[in-house]
Amino acid sequence: MKTKCIQKDLIFYLDNELSVEMRTAVEKHLEECADCRSFLAFLQEGIQIIEKEKNPEVTPFFYTRLSARLEEKPVYQTQSQWVRLAQPAFFSLVLLAGIYGGLKLGSNASSPKVYQQATNSAQMLNDFATEPIESFLLDEL
Amino acid sequence: MDEAQLIKGIQQGDRKSFQTLVETYQRMVVNTCLAIVHNKADAEDLAQDVFVEIFRTAENFRGDSKVSTWLYRIATNRSLNMIRNNKRKRFFQSIEEAFTGGRNHGSEVSESRNDQPDQNITDQQRSDLLHRAIDRLPEKQRIAFTLNKYEELPYQQIAEIMEISLASVESLIHRAKKNLQEQLLDCYKKKCV
Repeated sequence: MKTKCIQKDLIFYLDNELSVEMRTAVEKHLEECADCRSFLAFLQEGIQIIEKEKNPEVTPFFYTRLSARLEEKPVYQTQSQWVRLAQPAFFSLVLLAGIYGGLKLGSNASSPKVYQQATNSAQMLNDFATEPIESFLLDEL
Repeated sequence: MDEAQLIKGIQQGDRKSFQTLVETYQRMVVNTCLAIVHNKADAEDLAQDVFVEIFRTAENFRGDSKVSTWLYRIATNRSLNMIRNNKRKRFFQSIEEAFTGGRNHGSEVSESRNDQPDQNITDQQRSDLLHRAIDRLPEKQRIAFTLNKYEELPYQQIAEIMEISLASVESLIHRAKKNLQEQLLDCYKKKCV
């Protein structure tokens, strides 16, 4: 059996989830391969961490804290419920106002009167057509 | 007092029944949360949230499943939510730091550290490595694996908690172990511990 195959089966070997033939083959390979033995030890140490972390001691005042929380929470919850409802309503109103304003501005801009005004001001700004920059600079000299 | 009587008592607002339930299951709930969030203080806060939810929604419990199944379900959901919230916080914090030039380092986002100073460094490194590997598992694999390994639950009960079939649990745990082994093998080859 190849080393690569063995390394992929080691977690199942540790958990005793291999068939009898597979288990025997793994054990035989482990006797010959130092690298696999070393990885098996590494894996075992990692998995053993779970055993050490299981069932932590719980703080002795757990229920006292919990009891205090049960007393105070309803006030906070009603407040947060109100905020939860008011916030989306407020943002929806702002969004609707924005859309309405945008539509209003857009409809004004497309009217012929506003278009005429915009063209006139564009002509005033674009005075390079009547007085090119080259002639202006030559006049300065 | 059996489970049905306890729940009936809680549904009627009896604090004594609630206290009995908390004392019976607090270690189990804290252990489940700790297996997912890897921080004892966070796990205890989550366990408190779980019991508050139990007290407030006891009238919805119809007794179709065991109380422990109900508790495991709430505990795993709340733990996953905390991890998602922390990820979101870290994301916004990184954006904030990009704008403020990294001045706001003192945040309350909890890190996956143990609060045991006497533990030797290699054990701590191994523990961090294992936690990182578990955290990288997809959510369903992580829940199935932690319930099986930390709580030693049989596949059938995990299936009831996760509301999936027994075959799905077997597949999830098999894939979780394969993924975990792959990550540990990668680390072993790079000699990261």
